[in-house]
Amino acid sequence: MSESLPLSLTINGRAVGPVDVPLGMPMIDFLHEHLNLTGTRFGCGQGICHACTVVIEAADGTTSESRTCIFDAHYFNGKSIVTIEGQAPRDADGNVIELTPVQKAFIDNFAFQCGYCTPGFVTGATVFMDSLKRKPVRRADLEQAIEDALNVHLCRCTGYVRYYEAIRDLALATPGYVID
Amino acid sequence: MTDRRTEMPIVRPDDDLPRRTGLSRRSFIRLGVFSGIAVTLSRVVPAQAIEVDSTKPAGDWMGPDGRPRYRWDAISKVTGDKVFARDFRARDLAGWPQTQAHAFFVKATRADRVFEDIDLSALGPDLQPDRVVLHEDLANDRITVPQKVMGHGFYGYDFLTPKGQTPRMLGHPVALLVYSDFDRFVAAKRTLAFRTDTVRYGEDTGPKPPANYGVDRWVRVGSDDPFAEPLFSGLKDGPIRGGFDGNTPVWPPTLTEPLEPPTQRLRDRSVPLERPPRSADEQQRHEEAGMGYAADIAAEIDAAKSAAGKLVLERSGFSQSIDPSAMEPDNGNAWYDAETRTLHILAATQSPYGVAQAAAEMVKDCAFPVDTIDLLTGTTVGYGSKDYSIFPLYTVMAAFYGDGLPVRLANNRYEQFQMGMKRHSFDIDITLVADRESGHFEILKGSYACNGGGRANLSVAVSHEAIRGAQSMYYFPKSDLTAVALASPAVEAGSMRGFGALQAQTILELMVDEAAEALDIDAIELRRRNALAEGYANTQGGPQGGAMRNVDMLDRAAAHPLWRDRAARKAAYEAANPGQRYGVGYAQVNKVYGAGGDVSALALEFEPDGRLVLRHCCQEIGTGATTAQQVMIWQAIGKAPDAVTFGITDFPELPLTTDGSAADGVKNPFWTPSYLPDMSSSASVYYLGFATRQVGRFLFEHTLWPAARSIWSRGVGGGGISPLWVTLADLRITEDGVAGGGMRPIPFDELAAEAHRLGLITGVAMHTYSLWQWATAEFDVPTVGPVTIPADALSVRYGNGASDALKARMTTGGYDFIKRSSVTYPPNGRGNGDPMTNAASGCLVAVSVTEGTGAVEVVGLHSLLDAGRPIVPELVSGQQQGGLAMGLGHALMEELPLYEDGPGDGTWNFNRYKLPRAADVAVWAQTSEYLPPLADTDPPKGIAEAVMVPVIAATGNAIAHATGQRFYELPFTSDKIAKALP
Ligand code: FES
Ligand code: FES
Repeated sequence: MSESLPLSLTINGRAVGPVDVPLGMPMIDFLHEHLNLTGTRFGCGQGICHACTVVIEAADGTTSESRTCIFDAHYFNGKSIVTIEGQAPRDADGNVIELTPVQKAFIDNFAFQCGYCTPGFVTGATVFMDSLKRKPVRRADLEQAIEDALNVHLCRCTGYVRYYEAIRDLALATPGYVID
Repeated sequence: MTDRRTEMPIVRPDDDLPRRTGLSRRSFIRLGVFSGIAVTLSRVVPAQAIEVDSTKPAGDWMGPDGRPRYRWDAISKVTGDKVFARDFRARDLAGWPQTQAHAFFVKATRADRVFEDIDLSALGPDLQPDRVVLHEDLANDRITVPQKVMGHGFYGYDFLTPKGQTPRMLGHPVALLVYSDFDRFVAAKRTLAFRTDTVRYGEDTGPKPPANYGVDRWVRVGSDDPFAEPLFSGLKDGPIRGGFDGNTPVWPPTLTEPLEPPTQRLRDRSVPLERPPRSADEQQRHEEAGMGYAADIAAEIDAAKSAAGKLVLERSGFSQSIDPSAMEPDNGNAWYDAETRTLHILAATQSPYGVAQAAAEMVKDCAFPVDTIDLLTGTTVGYGSKDYSIFPLYTVMAAFYGDGLPVRLANNRYEQFQMGMKRHSFDIDITLVADRESGHFEILKGSYACNGGGRANLSVAVSHEAIRGAQSMYYFPKSDLTAVALASPAVEAGSMRGFGALQAQTILELMVDEAAEALDIDAIELRRRNALAEGYANTQGGPQGGAMRNVDMLDRAAAHPLWRDRAARKAAYEAANPGQRYGVGYAQVNKVYGAGGDVSALALEFEPDGRLVLRHCCQEIGTGATTAQQVMIWQAIGKAPDAVTFGITDFPELPLTTDGSAADGVKNPFWTPSYLPDMSSSASVYYLGFATRQVGRFLFEHTLWPAARSIWSRGVGGGGISPLWVTLADLRITEDGVAGGGMRPIPFDELAAEAHRLGLITGVAMHTYSLWQWATAEFDVPTVGPVTIPADALSVRYGNGASDALKARMTTGGYDFIKRSSVTYPPNGRGNGDPMTNAASGCLVAVSVTEGTGAVEVVGLHSLLDAGRPIVPELVSGQQQGGLAMGLGHALMEELPLYEDGPGDGTWNFNRYKLPRAADVAVWAQTSEYLPPLADTDPPKGIAEAVMVPVIAATGNAIAHATGQRFYELPFTSDKIAKALP
């Protein structure tokens, strides 16, 4: 069996570790089996479907999206990530206090069906919105920008339309994110 | 926004992160006693069910007007709660151990050589499993594949291939490796992945699949008058049973011993009631007569080939095997608690009742004593592929080898491709005869052969469904349709959206487009001339239920700019885009909703404070069905339930039995042909919702109306209602409560208090049954009098103010079970004329085909649907969009080889198997329209399956318009198109 090394990182704002984790264990297994954070969904294990993505928060405040099925847990050593469980603020009992704008846009637009892919879409759309905050998109380019950012996310139920509309409407409704 | 994470506690890896599991709230429900074992079903009451009701803003899911603001399960799904069976581990389940074992299969990647043994040396000393399970262990422990509950061979014959036997199909499990800890399990699984030396094979035997599964034939000889009694039809005379010589069907009179399909036709449902027994002689005469008519039809086709006035189009088509690709792969978790002799199962299934029955049969005589089975289910998704799948039974099998620990089986995507249920591939041969002058279709003759792979499962039912959908949206005076279900060493195929009809209708819709060209009639006009209408007979002889709306839909499609201007658009597009060829295609189908033998059950009751509690058999599979059921309740009584439980499989207040026959049912008020549904066949909104609407109507009429009358009559001289004339028919549900006839609206809570005070009915449980006709029964209800309703069982609860005598009757699960005084079930054999409830769906597709590469881009998409009166329009449109994407996947990109290099080799994943992405489905350009309901009492119809079908043929027809080439072999890949382009 492979060697274990200590791993420390920040998940949903909390320090985790140091804890011994075998080298070669994918991050998604660490989240599921060691931390019981199962909202990050396993779809392909191959980096194709993006059901398993989490937000990586860089020190400068920028965010990016990372798959957890093809990266070793140790790849995240020292990083700060947000899983779906950490998106909406929760009270001490773990109850959701308020949804994020992306989450709210999705439920208001009936965007998902089974919801298995939803954590990945929330992650992808959140990072996309964050990128618009820093670099607004021209109105004429908005649809293509959404497609470029989210096309990697697979969904088998919805045909994508309601997800995409929700993101478009949210971008348009957020001051400064879309310019003429 | 404030830092959303500052308040959360530091988490150590050993801790459980704070979260809601909802498991403490699960409820145990008795499922019944099967094979002498008490089976209870504990629904994982979705945490969101309760949280949605108690947490702001989640509690606001429904607006005051009865329209949902969002799905009632939306909050938990969007915040990452544990919802799916796959999300749960033993530690999350109340009463289960905190730790658990994990297991995976070693599978055969050859199905032509004898399995000898496994070789685990690659695992080295550290990663050897804690337990290896082989067939021989199962045999010792008498753990066998159930053969009774769904019929012989339905779930195959062996869980693990015995040594010395050739695996019946590619990807068949040969051994189970169990690990008591996750880390070693996952490392071992990674080590063995893709290795071809783990399984040792011996002698080359060639493929050894089971015997073929079924062959049946439906012949109808009618006339130009679609209402006239036919000379011969399925409804009147039943199907003709065939047999096999190799893979070739053999028929009477040559055939003397017709094949009895090995599968009980549970999902076929054409025979849920006993058919009157025919003597062998009668049966033979009947089948020979049918063959005589089939010969007449063949002779007529021959004659038409040389007749100038007739068009005879003969085509062979192929519809490929695809993977359902539900994003949640198959999984399950099971624990055998030897101390309490209880088997605990957590399953991802669309048919919990079926899993419970099969599990009970499995463990009845096994070496491990089981007194009780406790089954948990989660929200799931499968598009049919988790309906009567063997996977939950593998989970049960594994439970006995965890050395006291629960054992979890969870496919990764490679494994899911390797052993997950597929959509059947079909070889289809169709002959279409039309009159050149009128354009009327005269004959449809077809053979529809599906490849079921190495386990029978629902293959026979799927082949029959191909026949039943074969006519698409047309009336055929004569038809001769053969359904063939073949066995092969391919990975098992089973239930999957489309269920045979998709394959059959696609090929016919491609042919109709070609026929239109040959007849020089506009393709929509040709459809109009042949469209099925209300009451017309289908190819089985059954009447079509309700307004078919086919012509309405065709008129709309014909007027759509994509169709109307297609010639001009083609010219303009090709001029603007050199090297591209533009084309527009149309297809329209009638797709069944329901399966015949459709049942539903629920109980709805309220307290004096108006608190409304619903328990329903409907289970969430992603479609939003559980949201829609609650909206229907609001629509009926003006209030949504405060507490709900779905997926219920036992109603103590409806103690029904299926033992016996219809004849007993007239005498025995507890008898019903079928107790509980599975979640399939687009049945939820109309068929499961039927019972919901009936319960709502019953309460409206017998509770809300008398309670309102009582309130409105308060005061001197008969109260405010007395000078007016207000009847039940005047009553309406409004945002403010029950109103109408000029009276003050009364909120539900006030009516509830009054109903309790008066001792009226304050709870109703009902069971409904339809075999393309609703069972009806008369009930003498104490507070109401005799009522005849479309239900075969009824129980009621009386309010707090009821008399002691009434209350004393509430002894059946707290309800008064009203024994029906008479009942009328649909006649035997009505299922032979199915399907009788269909939804029309059409699709216009515009494509751009790149010369040279043959690449197809969808550049326009317009979908038309008759959804009846939709309950939640947003859910309908979501299903519609999802159906379009799934159809485009089938049309253009999804395909699995059946044998060599197919999914059974364990190397398939989404890198090789292309699923439609947003860029493939014209995500920003697609549009849709719904036929407006004809009246406000139109019921809702089933949905996603209907939309998924026409988009496939419409794409093929668009490619034909673009390229001038017709393709009958799916999918329409760029390779095939490039090869065919001049
Ligand atoms: S599960 Fe990670 S990309 Fe599919
Ligand atoms: S909603 Fe089911 S996979 Fe996306």
